[in-house]
Amino acid sequence: MLSFFDVTVDFDRSHLIFPILVSAVLAVLGAVILATRRAEIGAALAATPRWPAGTDRMRLFGTVVLVIIYFLAMERIGRAIPNRGFGFLFASAPFVLAISLLYMHGLSRRRVIIAVLNAVIAPLVVWFILSSLFNISLP
Amino acid sequence: MDLLSDLTPLFFFLTIAGTFVGIIFGAIPGMTATMAVAVCLPLTYSLGLINGMALLLGLYVGGISGGLVPAVLLNIPGTPSSITTTFDGYPMAQRGEGERALKLGIAASLFGGMFSLLILYLFAPALADFAIKFSYVEKFLIIFLALTVMAALSGNMLIGIFSGVLGMLISLIGAYDVSDGGNGEYRLMFPFMEYYLDSGFSLLPVLIGLFGLSAILIEAEQGVPEDSSLSKMEISRSTPFRWTDFGGQFINLFRSASIGTFVGLLPGVGGSAASVLSYSQAKTFSKTPEQFGRGNPSGVIASETANNGLTGGALIPLLSLGIPGDSTTAILIGAFTLQGIQVGPLFIGQNVETWNMMIIAMLVANIAMFVIMFYAIRNICKVVTVPKHLLFPVILMMCVVGSYTINYGIMFDVWTLLIFGLVGYLFHRIGLEVAPFIIGFILGPSAEVYFVKSLESYGNLTIFFTKSWIAVVLWLLIMGSIWLSVFVARKARA
Repeated sequence: MLSFFDVTVDFDRSHLIFPILVSAVLAVLGAVILATRRAEIGAALAATPRWPAGTDRMRLFGTVVLVIIYFLAMERIGRAIPNRGFGFLFASAPFVLAISLLYMHGLSRRRVIIAVLNAVIAPLVVWFILSSLFNISLP
Repeated sequence: MDLLSDLTPLFFFLTIAGTFVGIIFGAIPGMTATMAVAVCLPLTYSLGLINGMALLLGLYVGGISGGLVPAVLLNIPGTPSSITTTFDGYPMAQRGEGERALKLGIAASLFGGMFSLLILYLFAPALADFAIKFSYVEKFLIIFLALTVMAALSGNMLIGIFSGVLGMLISLIGAYDVSDGGNGEYRLMFPFMEYYLDSGFSLLPVLIGLFGLSAILIEAEQGVPEDSSLSKMEISRSTPFRWTDFGGQFINLFRSASIGTFVGLLPGVGGSAASVLSYSQAKTFSKTPEQFGRGNPSGVIASETANNGLTGGALIPLLSLGIPGDSTTAILIGAFTLQGIQVGPLFIGQNVETWNMMIIAMLVANIAMFVIMFYAIRNICKVVTVPKHLLFPVILMMCVVGSYTINYGIMFDVWTLLIFGLVGYLFHRIGLEVAPFIIGFILGPSAEVYFVKSLESYGNLTIFFTKSWIAVVLWLLIMGSIWLSVFVARKARA
């Protein structure tokens, strides 16, 4: 005799059971959070300016843009010269330098020279250790 | 004999080097033990499991310990777990007792680390032996319990559990794995994503994105301030450190180490909770609570003993149940996966050699941490002055290496790093919690298999309540943690 708690699992649809259950729990939790923090969320959405005071948007968005360019460049160079890790090496050096310059407060000749050395030496050392010594694949 | 043959110079070198690098990471504000382990993970590819673990455990112990240096000297916690060290450490430094405060903290860290290591050694095999008897039902309930405990102890119960369940949902993206008894069908994505997300998002790029890239984005948002104060770190020593300073501190040490180890056991609850809880208990039981916050050595001892007590505690659920105790041990799962080893109840029994070497690595790391910090504290203060504009780009580069190499060269994993770096930053902005998200993400696929297979095997929902007395006990613990959540929420509101 079937009871209220009996469950029959259809194997063909078994991949959906847990995601549906978890989504339902998430929806309920989301609804409760919205209901209990309505005022707080509404105030945050209506707030102007959207960014908190003191946000350095240039460094934040600059980082994101440089990271995207870095990944794209690494992939392109890696395809052009495959299996040697050159995509990583040749894309990393300018990326490290660009991020260093973006984060630097107060440019000076000495600081820039150190940043250039860092941008050349650090990727070269990592590439040499991982790709040449340990044979780990790099882009 | 196997054990002796594993004790190579390389093993000791990696443990000590890992500890040293970890201390540096911990001592630089904005960088954490988790980041240190994530960034150095790719180095373990060619080292093998034992040597790789030696490096990572050294980084873990060092990373947790290093946060004490700027906490005492600059009033800036190097890691979140050193927050309460600033309360009394900094006032001590201001009145000329910087060296005393640091050395008290270092010795207390050693005690906390050793205590938790002992508990790990004694308790983890017993828990694993017990957990071997668990069926899918009990395993699912253990994960359910982990999530409810995590929610109960997170900053905000609802947000904590929402973050955990969200992590679980994200982990289900991809095919329902045939090797786990699934039907291989895709879910939670569009057809064009199937090529990239057949096995879902890889754990390591997700972790590195959430803890590495997002931390740098948060720093970038704040303008990557140059800590000019770091270069001014000076160790005042008008009152020198004496071992007799520990007189009358035995109960404080023991209680704090116990709290740290216990908090470490709880999934997703970090070192900051351990040190805050320990500090508040030390204050409550003190005969002179009014001196806390004004440079009381007991405060430094309580905080530092507890945060290092976390290290061994967090490894207990990882090695005996496969559930990480904190975010850093979650990354260690990646190191095991890399070597083709699954952590869980069978791990210790089937990998006795690795288990013993992990214990030795933790022991060596704690001793190395003590020696390095106790005798070379002045030099560490100099090393942490490396500017962030030189350090952060190199860390970003290492994040890429770690993500790319996890699956032997898949570019999509590098994009996953960016996606979850942005997700981590977004979480920071809107107030969601990363640690529960990660625990949910790690446990999601297992929870699915245990839940669905339980239903397939027994065909009745009541099996989750009636399977065994263990299931009943687990439900009692789950109810207890839910009650604790409600109690904590009501108390906070009152």
